[in-house]
Amino acid sequence: MDRTMSTVQGKDDIKLTSDQLNIEELTTLVTSPTSGAISVFIGTTRNNFDGKKVLWLEYEAYKTMAETELRKICGQIRERWVVENIAVFHRLGCVPITESSVIIAISSPHRRDGLDAVRYAIDTLKATVPIWKKELYEEGEASWKENKECSWST
Amino acid sequence: MSKVMAAAEVQVNVLFFAKSRELVGSKEATLAVPAQTTSVQLLAAIVSRYPSLAVISNNLVLAVNQEYIAPGNDLLTLHPGDEVAVIPPISGG
Repeated sequence: MDRTMSTVQGKDDIKLTSDQLNIEELTTLVTSPTSGAISVFIGTTRNNFDGKKVLWLEYEAYKTMAETELRKICGQIRERWVVENIAVFHRLGCVPITESSVIIAISSPHRRDGLDAVRYAIDTLKATVPIWKKELYEEGEASWKENKECSWST
Repeated sequence: MSKVMAAAEVQVNVLFFAKSRELVGSKEATLAVPAQTTSVQLLAAIVSRYPSLAVISNNLVLAVNQEYIAPGNDLLTLHPGDEVAVIPPISGG
Protein backbone atom coordinates (compact mmCIF):
# COMPACT_ATOMS: atom_id res chain seq x y z
CA MET A 1 0.00 0.00 0.00
CA ASP A 2 1.45 3.36 -0.90
CA ARG A 3 1.53 5.26 2.35
CA THR A 4 2.85 8.53 1.06
CA MET A 5 0.49 11.45 0.83
CA SER A 6 2.42 13.06 -1.94
CA THR A 7 2.11 12.22 -5.61
CA VAL A 8 5.45 13.90 -6.22
CA GLN A 9 8.53 11.67 -5.93
CA GLY A 10 10.88 13.39 -3.54
CA LYS A 11 14.28 12.64 -2.11
CA ASP A 12 15.62 12.44 1.44
CA ASP A 13 19.15 13.80 1.92
CA ILE A 14 20.65 12.90 5.29
CA LYS A 15 24.17 13.88 6.28
CA LEU A 16 26.22 13.73 9.48
CA THR A 17 29.38 15.80 9.08
CA SER A 18 32.07 17.57 11.03
CA ASP A 19 32.17 20.31 8.38
CA GLN A 20 30.50 23.65 9.04
CA LEU A 21 26.88 23.51 7.87
CA ASN A 22 25.82 25.71 4.99
CA ILE A 23 22.13 26.60 4.62
CA GLU A 24 22.51 27.27 0.89
CA GLU A 25 23.66 23.71 0.35
CA LEU A 26 20.42 22.40 1.85
CA THR A 27 18.11 24.83 0.11
CA THR A 28 19.76 23.96 -3.19
CA LEU A 29 19.16 20.26 -2.50
CA VAL A 30 15.46 20.65 -1.78
CA THR A 31 14.53 23.37 -4.28
CA SER A 32 12.12 22.18 -6.92
CA PRO A 33 9.98 23.79 -9.62
CA THR A 34 6.93 21.97 -8.25
CA SER A 35 7.34 23.34 -4.72
CA GLY A 36 6.14 26.78 -3.71
CA ALA A 37 7.72 26.71 -0.27
CA ILE A 38 10.97 25.75 1.40
CA SER A 39 10.64 25.50 5.19
CA VAL A 40 13.77 25.55 7.30
CA PHE A 41 14.85 24.96 10.90
CA ILE A 42 18.37 25.84 12.01
CA GLY A 43 19.58 24.80 15.47
CA THR A 44 22.43 26.98 16.72
CA THR A 45 24.63 26.88 19.80
CA ARG A 46 23.77 29.18 22.70
CA ASN A 47 26.48 30.73 24.86
CA ASN A 48 24.83 30.14 28.20
CA PHE A 49 23.13 27.50 30.28
CA ASP A 50 21.95 27.81 33.87
CA GLY A 51 24.06 30.90 34.51
CA LYS A 52 27.21 29.30 33.16
CA LYS A 53 29.08 30.48 30.10
CA VAL A 54 29.27 27.84 27.38
CA LEU A 55 32.47 27.87 25.33
CA TRP A 56 31.42 25.37 22.68
CA LEU A 57 29.49 22.16 22.16
CA GLU A 58 30.81 18.74 21.23
CA TYR A 59 28.51 16.38 19.34
CA GLU A 60 28.84 12.60 19.10
CA ALA A 61 26.64 10.19 17.14
CA TYR A 62 25.90 6.50 16.73
CA LYS A 63 26.23 7.19 13.05
CA THR A 64 24.64 4.16 11.43
CA MET A 65 21.63 4.19 13.74
CA ALA A 66 21.29 7.99 13.61
CA GLU A 67 20.99 7.82 9.82
CA THR A 68 18.45 5.02 10.06
CA GLU A 69 16.34 6.95 12.56
CA LEU A 70 16.53 10.12 10.44
CA ARG A 71 15.31 8.18 7.41
CA LYS A 72 12.44 6.81 9.50
CA ILE A 73 11.48 10.39 10.36
CA CYS A 74 11.47 11.25 6.64
CA GLY A 75 9.14 8.31 6.01
CA GLN A 76 6.83 9.40 8.81
CA ILE A 77 6.75 12.91 7.39
CA ARG A 78 5.81 11.60 3.94
CA GLU A 79 2.93 9.63 5.45
CA ARG A 80 1.40 12.70 7.03
CA TRP A 81 2.17 15.73 4.87
CA VAL A 82 2.52 16.57 1.20
CA VAL A 83 6.19 17.43 0.89
CA GLU A 84 8.67 17.09 -1.92
CA ASN A 85 12.33 17.00 -0.83
CA ILE A 86 13.73 16.69 2.68
CA ALA A 87 17.30 17.46 3.77
CA VAL A 88 18.60 16.98 7.32
CA PHE A 89 22.24 17.74 8.09
CA HIS A 90 23.62 17.37 11.62
CA ARG A 91 27.08 18.53 12.59
CA LEU A 92 29.37 16.35 14.68
CA GLY A 93 32.47 17.20 16.69
CA CYS A 94 33.10 20.71 18.00
CA VAL A 95 30.51 23.36 17.18
CA PRO A 96 31.48 26.90 18.24
CA ILE A 97 28.90 29.32 19.70
CA THR A 98 26.43 30.73 17.15
CA GLU A 99 27.30 28.13 14.54
CA SER A 100 24.64 25.70 13.34
CA SER A 101 24.45 22.22 14.77
CA VAL A 102 21.48 21.04 12.74
CA ILE A 103 19.65 22.25 9.62
CA ILE A 104 16.38 20.80 8.35
CA ALA A 105 15.02 21.97 5.01
CA ILE A 106 11.80 20.71 3.41
CA SER A 107 10.25 21.75 0.12
CA SER A 108 6.53 21.42 -0.42
CA PRO A 109 3.90 22.60 -2.90
CA HIS A 110 2.23 24.60 -0.12
CA ARG A 111 3.74 26.15 2.96
CA ARG A 112 1.52 24.68 5.70
CA ASP A 113 2.71 21.10 5.07
CA GLY A 114 6.37 22.12 4.97
CA LEU A 115 6.21 24.18 8.15
CA ASP A 116 4.38 21.44 10.05
CA ALA A 117 6.79 18.80 8.74
CA VAL A 118 9.86 20.78 9.84
CA ARG A 119 8.47 21.17 13.35
CA TYR A 120 7.75 17.44 13.50
CA ALA A 121 11.25 16.65 12.20
CA ILE A 122 13.13 18.58 14.88
CA ASP A 123 10.80 17.47 17.68
CA THR A 124 11.16 13.81 16.69
CA LEU A 125 14.91 14.10 16.10
CA LYS A 126 15.32 15.33 19.66
CA ALA A 127 13.27 12.40 20.97
CA THR A 128 14.71 9.51 18.95
CA VAL A 129 17.98 10.08 17.07
CA PRO A 130 21.10 8.73 18.86
CA ILE A 131 23.19 11.90 18.90
CA TRP A 132 24.63 13.43 22.08
CA LYS A 133 26.01 16.85 22.90
CA LYS A 134 28.36 17.92 25.63
CA GLU A 135 28.56 21.54 26.79
CA LEU A 136 32.02 22.83 27.67
CA TYR A 137 31.85 25.67 30.26
CA GLU A 138 34.18 28.57 30.85
CA GLU A 139 34.56 27.49 34.47
CA GLY A 140 36.19 24.30 33.20
CA GLU A 141 33.58 21.58 33.69
CA ALA A 142 31.61 19.84 30.98
CA SER A 143 28.12 18.36 30.94
CA TRP A 144 26.39 15.81 28.72
CA LYS A 145 23.00 17.29 27.89
CA GLU A 146 19.72 15.37 27.96
CA ASN A 147 16.79 16.39 25.77
CA LYS A 148 13.52 16.75 27.66
CA GLU A 149 11.94 15.04 24.65
CA CYS A 150 13.96 11.89 25.40
CA SER A 151 11.81 9.45 27.33
CA TRP A 152 14.73 7.99 29.30
CA SER A 153 16.31 11.27 30.41
CA THR A 154 17.08 11.70 34.10
CA MET B 1 18.67 -40.02 31.20
CA SER B 2 18.08 -36.30 30.66
CA LYS B 3 21.04 -34.08 29.99
CA VAL B 4 21.06 -30.51 31.31
CA MET B 5 22.41 -28.04 28.74
CA ALA B 6 24.00 -24.81 29.87
CA ALA B 7 22.07 -21.83 28.61
CA ALA B 8 23.52 -21.05 25.20
CA GLU B 9 25.66 -17.94 25.16
CA VAL B 10 26.64 -15.74 22.22
CA GLN B 11 29.39 -13.17 21.76
CA VAL B 12 27.97 -9.73 21.07
CA ASN B 13 29.69 -6.46 20.21
CA VAL B 14 28.83 -3.77 22.73
CA LEU B 15 29.16 -0.11 21.77
CA PHE B 16 29.38 2.67 24.37
CA PHE B 17 28.45 6.25 23.65
CA ALA B 18 28.72 9.64 25.37
CA LYS B 19 28.71 9.40 29.16
CA SER B 20 28.74 5.59 29.08
CA ARG B 21 31.84 5.67 26.88
CA GLU B 22 33.59 7.98 29.35
CA LEU B 23 32.65 5.82 32.34
CA VAL B 24 33.77 2.57 30.71
CA GLY B 25 36.84 4.15 29.14
CA SER B 26 36.24 2.48 25.81
CA LYS B 27 34.04 2.81 22.73
CA GLU B 28 33.44 -0.91 22.31
CA ALA B 29 33.89 -4.35 23.77
CA THR B 30 32.80 -7.92 23.21
CA LEU B 31 30.70 -9.71 25.78
CA ALA B 32 29.31 -13.22 26.14
CA VAL B 33 25.64 -13.13 27.06
CA PRO B 34 22.74 -15.59 27.01
CA ALA B 35 21.18 -15.90 23.56
CA GLN B 36 17.70 -15.88 25.13
CA THR B 37 17.40 -12.89 27.37
CA THR B 38 15.42 -9.73 28.07
CA SER B 39 16.32 -6.05 27.89
CA VAL B 40 16.47 -5.90 31.70
CA GLN B 41 18.77 -8.93 31.90
CA LEU B 42 21.01 -7.77 29.07
CA LEU B 43 21.51 -4.36 30.66
CA ALA B 44 22.20 -6.02 34.00
CA ALA B 45 24.84 -8.25 32.34
CA ILE B 46 26.54 -5.21 30.80
CA VAL B 47 26.50 -3.27 34.08
CA SER B 48 27.78 -6.33 35.92
CA ARG B 49 30.75 -6.49 33.56
CA TYR B 50 31.23 -2.70 33.62
CA PRO B 51 30.20 -1.58 37.13
CA SER B 52 31.18 2.04 36.45
CA LEU B 53 27.93 2.23 34.47
CA ALA B 54 25.87 1.65 37.61
CA VAL B 55 25.65 5.41 38.35
CA ILE B 56 23.71 5.97 35.11
CA SER B 57 22.10 2.55 34.60
CA ASN B 58 18.61 3.80 35.48
CA ASN B 59 18.71 6.09 32.46
CA LEU B 60 20.16 3.82 29.79
CA VAL B 61 18.35 2.16 26.92
CA LEU B 62 19.75 -0.46 24.59
CA ALA B 63 19.65 -0.92 20.85
CA VAL B 64 20.33 -4.23 19.12
CA ASN B 65 21.43 -4.06 15.48
CA GLN B 66 20.44 -0.41 15.42
CA GLU B 67 16.88 -0.86 16.63
CA TYR B 68 15.83 0.35 20.06
CA ILE B 69 14.85 -2.38 22.49
CA ALA B 70 11.94 -1.42 24.72
CA PRO B 71 13.05 -1.57 28.35
CA GLY B 72 11.36 -4.47 30.11
CA ASN B 73 10.91 -8.19 30.28
CA ASP B 74 9.93 -9.06 26.71
CA LEU B 75 11.96 -11.98 25.40
CA LEU B 76 14.89 -11.05 23.22
CA THR B 77 16.96 -13.44 21.08
CA LEU B 78 20.56 -12.52 20.41
CA HIS B 79 22.81 -13.95 17.67
CA PRO B 80 26.61 -14.16 17.46
CA GLY B 81 28.04 -10.85 16.35
CA ASP B 82 24.94 -8.81 17.17
CA GLU B 83 25.64 -5.14 17.81
CA VAL B 84 24.36 -3.99 21.20
CA ALA B 85 24.56 -0.25 21.84
CA VAL B 86 24.40 1.39 25.26
CA ILE B 87 22.42 4.58 24.81
CA PRO B 88 22.41 7.32 27.48
CA PRO B 89 19.78 10.08 27.27
CA ILE B 90 20.10 11.66 23.85
CA SER B 91 20.68 15.31 23.05
CA GLY B 92 20.76 15.80 19.29
CA GLY B 93 19.50 18.89 17.58
